[in-house]
Amino acid sequence: MPVNEKWMPKILAFCCNWCTYTGADLAGLNRMKYPANVRVLRVPCSSRVSPQFVLRAFQKGCDGVMVCGCHPGDCHYTSGNYYTRRRFMVLKEMLEFNGIEPERFQTRWISGSEAGKFRDTVAEVSEIVTKLGPNTAFNERRAENV
Amino acid sequence: MRLKKEDLNKILALLAKNRELFVPGQVRGIKQFKLWDGETPELDGENTVLPPKDILFPKTEKMYAYKTGTETEISEIVDAPERVIFGIRACDMHSIECMDSVFIREGYEDSFYARRRAKSLIVAVACPGAGVNCFCESMGLDPDAAPGADIFLSGGGEFYGVTANTEKGETELKKWTQYLTDGDVPKGEAHCSLAPAMSPELSEKLTGLFDDDEFWQEVTEPCLQCGTCSFVCPTCYCFDINQSSVGDEGVAFRCWDSCMFSDYNQNAGGHNTRPTKKQRLRNRYLHKLAYFNERHGMELCVGCGRCINKCPAHLDIAEFIDKAAEVCHD
Amino acid sequence: MSDIQSALHKRARALLENGDVEYVIGWENARGENKTRPAFIRRAEDAERLVWNRWCVNSTAKYLLHDRWPKGKIAICARGCDTRAINRMLSDGQVKRENIYILGIPCAGVENQICRRCAHRNPLVYDELLGEPAEEKTDFDRFEKVKEMQAMTLEQRRQMWEDEFTKCIRCYACRNVCPACNCRECYADQYRTGWQGKQFNAVENRVYGLTRAYHVGDRCIECGECERVCPMDLPIMLQTGRMLMECNELFGQYECGLSDDETPALGTYNLNDADSFG
Repeated sequence: MPVNEKWMPKILAFCCNWCTYTGADLAGLNRMKYPANVRVLRVPCSSRVSPQFVLRAFQKGCDGVMVCGCHPGDCHYTSGNYYTRRRFMVLKEMLEFNGIEPERFQTRWISGSEAGKFRDTVAEVSEIVTKLGPNTAFNERRAENV
Repeated sequence: MRLKKEDLNKILALLAKNRELFVPGQVRGIKQFKLWDGETPELDGENTVLPPKDILFPKTEKMYAYKTGTETEISEIVDAPERVIFGIRACDMHSIECMDSVFIREGYEDSFYARRRAKSLIVAVACPGAGVNCFCESMGLDPDAAPGADIFLSGGGEFYGVTANTEKGETELKKWTQYLTDGDVPKGEAHCSLAPAMSPELSEKLTGLFDDDEFWQEVTEPCLQCGTCSFVCPTCYCFDINQSSVGDEGVAFRCWDSCMFSDYNQNAGGHNTRPTKKQRLRNRYLHKLAYFNERHGMELCVGCGRCINKCPAHLDIAEFIDKAAEVCHD
Repeated sequence: MSDIQSALHKRARALLENGDVEYVIGWENARGENKTRPAFIRRAEDAERLVWNRWCVNSTAKYLLHDRWPKGKIAICARGCDTRAINRMLSDGQVKRENIYILGIPCAGVENQICRRCAHRNPLVYDELLGEPAEEKTDFDRFEKVKEMQAMTLEQRRQMWEDEFTKCIRCYACRNVCPACNCRECYADQYRTGWQGKQFNAVENRVYGLTRAYHVGDRCIECGECERVCPMDLPIMLQTGRMLMECNELFGQYECGLSDDETPALGTYNLNDADSFG
């Protein structure tokens, strides 16, 4: 698919309720500007995100997926994000092994006070994914999926 | 009439004109029916790993598209191209006759199957030599005959004997005249490797075994309940209907199903009428060898041996037939 | 091997005669040459049906899950890989040790490619060992094939998996034979939730393939049954192998099914785990 100027990536961001979502909220309150092509999905904890959610997001047409949670050590449930860390360190490699650019999948630790980091991360990921172009490898609409 | 085997590719070129021509060949290391690419098809050796049923009864088939809103729009999907299936053997030809009986002849006519079937020309070829687990002769077939095919290429040696069995076949043969000569062709010498004791009497007696729990436990215990046997079977015709939607648009489709799967007999409310492998495999065997006979007057097993080749637990329907025959005749 | 077989006959007969076990899971000859299938021996006089030879390729352990609440004990013939599978199921709380009587079988490898890369030729857990221990081998690289694939470009790998998943017929044999696939109800069977589309095509097949790989990848005992049973010859072990390799690299030496009380790599954590996320 040729990448024309109008094409905007679709990015899904799973945000932990206690940190990143609050950080995103703060970014909004401060009238910070960040690319509008990110869709935020609030989850109780970043460890709620099953790798299946990520695969499914790519299948359903997302060009990039972010999983954001509290910094390790700051989890509202004490240890949730430690599991997140292991899980997605491995997933990143698995995606690459299966032929999808690993940069399309990003995990970041963003606390409730880091509105600026949220804004910068979204801008950065949006730029990376825009450069990579549309996700054709996993997207079902590219394939004959009935 | 006979046809020199050397001229086969010229005939294939004729068949492929304005039509999709399917022939046996390798696709990513798996022998199956594929669109003809100009190469000589793989008619010799073992039969294809996957049966030709996908051509008439696709693994996934769109039925209709819909759009919801203030008014629901439904549009029909018709996808039945002109096709030729070339190089199928006696067993697979008979499997298509079984499916014809299910989808066209007995009771309701399935328009999806019927359309594809009407637009398909079938050229069967004499079996070049049985595989290690073949037993079509025990199922009442002749490896060197395919009365259901539009055109049948018989015999062995340098020539094929050419016969048209249907009007469609005769019309087609008129295009072949320049390659056809007079003369006889010797009968093919292929014979099955296995000879399980199948008989019409056994088919009738089999249902009597239904309640013999110990017998079924022993037969079914190694089964892993995967769908391999159903998906490599040329006659398994069960399907499931489902939808796939994006936003307010979507498509209804049907796809192959297997009676080995746990959700096959799942009822609304959660009750499963065949909860264990004993009931599921019993149903499969009896459907193949007895129930189908009661309604359609033939067995639903054609003796191709594919399920025996591929079963992960090395279950063997030919061995089952012998075992059942032993129990029934005791 | 015949020594083991005769010992097996003797012990199976005795266990059944004494009523120590309800039945014995092993292998018996199937019709045709060089073919065996899993056997379930319930009567002492049938003990002689059991065989042990290089055609005994089927894993026996998964059948323990077909009988989760047995009336009596189940005796099971178990090679190294089968005992790792049993350890897997014990660790996952799927079976109870007191319900199983393990007849350990030292195995120098059967007719299966995977046996060349087997690091546990002797049973790891057993109630009794039949025959002499087999010689263990270490002259191989566990992740040889994964590494070969890693040498390919991203695009080559994408294309290769696309081809492989196009081949897949989703018969679920890999799932049904896998000792780590022990969910009471598989996500793929919960079709109403919509995780797994019922369509047969490369996209849905990949969703299944990757989801399964991730579900079992950090609990895989490397028995290779998934590849053996695949009717379409998909290299399924590459996926789980890649995951195991990554677990080894990130979290230290890691191999599954070595004890009956192990936590999967992704089911635990360490405060100092590798972190490249920032």
